[in-house]
Amino acid sequence: MPMHHSVLSRRNLLAGGAALAITPLASCGSSGASSGTDDLVMWDMVWGTGAAYTKTAQKIAGEYTPAEGHRGVTYQSIPWANWYQTFTSAVASGTGPSVSTGASFQPFFFMEQGSVVPADGAVALLEKEGKADFLPGLLDAMKTDKGYAGIPWGLDLRVLWYRESMLEDVGASVPTTWDEYVQVGKKLKAAGKIGFGLAAGSSTTDAQHSIFALLINNGGGLFTEDGEPDATNDANVEALEFVLEMVAEGIIDPRAASYTADNLDSDWASGRIAMGFGQTGLDKQMKDPVSADLKVMSPLASTSGSKGTIYYINAIMLYADTPDQASSDAFAAWWATRTDTFWTENVMIDLPVTQRLASSEMITSNPNLVTAIKEWQPIGKTLGAKAPAAFGALNSVDGGKAAASFVQQVVQGKTAPKAMLQTLQTELEKLV
Amino acid sequence: MTPRSRGLTMTALAAPALVLMVVVNAYPVVYAASQSLRDGNLLDPGDFVGLQNFTEILSDPLFWRAVRFTLLFTVSGVLGSWAIGYALALAFKQPFRGRGVLKVAFLLPWVVPVVVTSMSWNWLVATAESPLPRLFAAIGLPDVLFLADPTMAVAIVCVFKVWISFPFMFLMMSAAMEGIDPSVYEASTVDGAGRWATLTRMTLPLTAKSTYISWVLMSMFTINDFPTVFLLTGGGPVDATTSLVVLAYRTVFQSFQPGYGVGVAFIMTAALVAISLALFRSIRKVD
Repeated sequence: MPMHHSVLSRRNLLAGGAALAITPLASCGSSGASSGTDDLVMWDMVWGTGAAYTKTAQKIAGEYTPAEGHRGVTYQSIPWANWYQTFTSAVASGTGPSVSTGASFQPFFFMEQGSVVPADGAVALLEKEGKADFLPGLLDAMKTDKGYAGIPWGLDLRVLWYRESMLEDVGASVPTTWDEYVQVGKKLKAAGKIGFGLAAGSSTTDAQHSIFALLINNGGGLFTEDGEPDATNDANVEALEFVLEMVAEGIIDPRAASYTADNLDSDWASGRIAMGFGQTGLDKQMKDPVSADLKVMSPLASTSGSKGTIYYINAIMLYADTPDQASSDAFAAWWATRTDTFWTENVMIDLPVTQRLASSEMITSNPNLVTAIKEWQPIGKTLGAKAPAAFGALNSVDGGKAAASFVQQVVQGKTAPKAMLQTLQTELEKLV
Repeated sequence: MTPRSRGLTMTALAAPALVLMVVVNAYPVVYAASQSLRDGNLLDPGDFVGLQNFTEILSDPLFWRAVRFTLLFTVSGVLGSWAIGYALALAFKQPFRGRGVLKVAFLLPWVVPVVVTSMSWNWLVATAESPLPRLFAAIGLPDVLFLADPTMAVAIVCVFKVWISFPFMFLMMSAAMEGIDPSVYEASTVDGAGRWATLTRMTLPLTAKSTYISWVLMSMFTINDFPTVFLLTGGGPVDATTSLVVLAYRTVFQSFQPGYGVGVAFIMTAALVAISLALFRSIRKVD
């Protein structure tokens, strides 16, 4: 009786193992000029339009040709789910990237821990090429005692949107002050509409961004110029009184205390929400006729007469654990210039960060983006306001349980502003 | 082979698996214990602070709120699902047309992934446009904030837990009832026992052991249940539905304070062991 060869031969086993090892890396791309174990590794989050963004990013990474003596790059797309665990475990085990994009306050936190190095070298390269033409305040907001925590490349700016047709239907003009906003909100409420849409559920940061934007709008903020917690300042109390007035008048939906981002999108899409804060790409996320009806209003003058909003700078960061720092600098600077493609190919939702893109026809032909860049961006501040730049502890504040509980309490409208802010202050002191 | 050499051979054969188990289980526990005694983050273990995290936890009103919710969630989840499961097991004891199909239908809440069922429940109640609020409005009932009102959110999460758990109890109790000798019921009928007497004097005592075991299991499932709460309410509004496991997760992975979060997890584990021991003692008494 002839012996049959085993189906699972050693060679088959090795081949199968290799295939399994390669499968998770299917979304990786390597620059054509140089690839190997000593390449830089670029971790890029799934931004903007998701799959379309990642496809474009992979294509761009594949075009990287390192200069003589510099390393090539291997691109890896990283999902947002559990991003913190992904980065911390990789960095702690020495398997992290050389260069990455990531969450807004990630470079500050990682830099304080010694895992991220200043991006000054890469910024110098951009300046040399005349490509460091950042919008006002953005590069300064990345400045720390050690140097720039990263290179800005995208801006999540919070602006106030309104449904043009709905305001016309209730005979209201676009508000310019908080007082006018409440009056318009009351008219919308009478018509069964929500005047200040937000989602305060524990799984989203939307309401945190909206309410913190109002604190900054009124000249307040959660921190002092030195980065010390300062939640209970008078400007914040005044801003919360404005929010509580909207709650009392039914301009804010009490259901928003448990809303997810999907619930909020659903209410914008169904025409239930007429006004509210959103990212600059909110209209892109909606379909017509809602999309065409959404307009960005000019910034409102608060009770104190000041204007302001919150923004989150998305940065390219460079890690200490790299095969070659000069190669990391060169690639990060190159990537920063090539991110223009994400806007020219319309795969980003956030705002661009450079003057060259802000003045391009693609942006200037869109009135909503023009208003956002000309009127809202210059008055924007980070979550660290009033501190001039962000800092690592904001990583724990943004999306943390203290901020989530705070905004849910605000939406419920049952507690006095000072008491809510005092609770937040206590929590901030624990975190910072 | 002598008994001694046989014993040595068996020990040698089992040793790799034993060592692997100890390493896989012991290392994370030791590392977590170390983290609970430090004030670091996920990148840097930080400084040794002794029992400071535990004293902070035990003096934190949010922790005690989470304890109260976890108790309510567990007691209502275990007893509620058991009551429904037991009633269904009784109803399904006798054969009837469509019994098999109905049995499968009743198992669906347990079988369907909780991420799907939680999204379905959110869709049912979350917004003003959701079916349940619209139904309430249509029949003239007052507007209820199912997930935004803390009391209602607690009620909804508990009902949701009962809903996804009763099929497990249904299966356990059905199996227990199948194991009762039919002659016991014949004897009780001969003795003139009514339905109530049969239930309370025969069926309940004869299924007591299975009941206790299912309570122990469901208590463990419920105390450790992260997705049910987190996917439906995220622990809100204003921490009303924050269970101990959700508090531990949010502290470690949203506020990035592993020392405190792991401390909560250790306290929870100790409580779970104590509850399990108490229930197992009850089972022994039944024996």
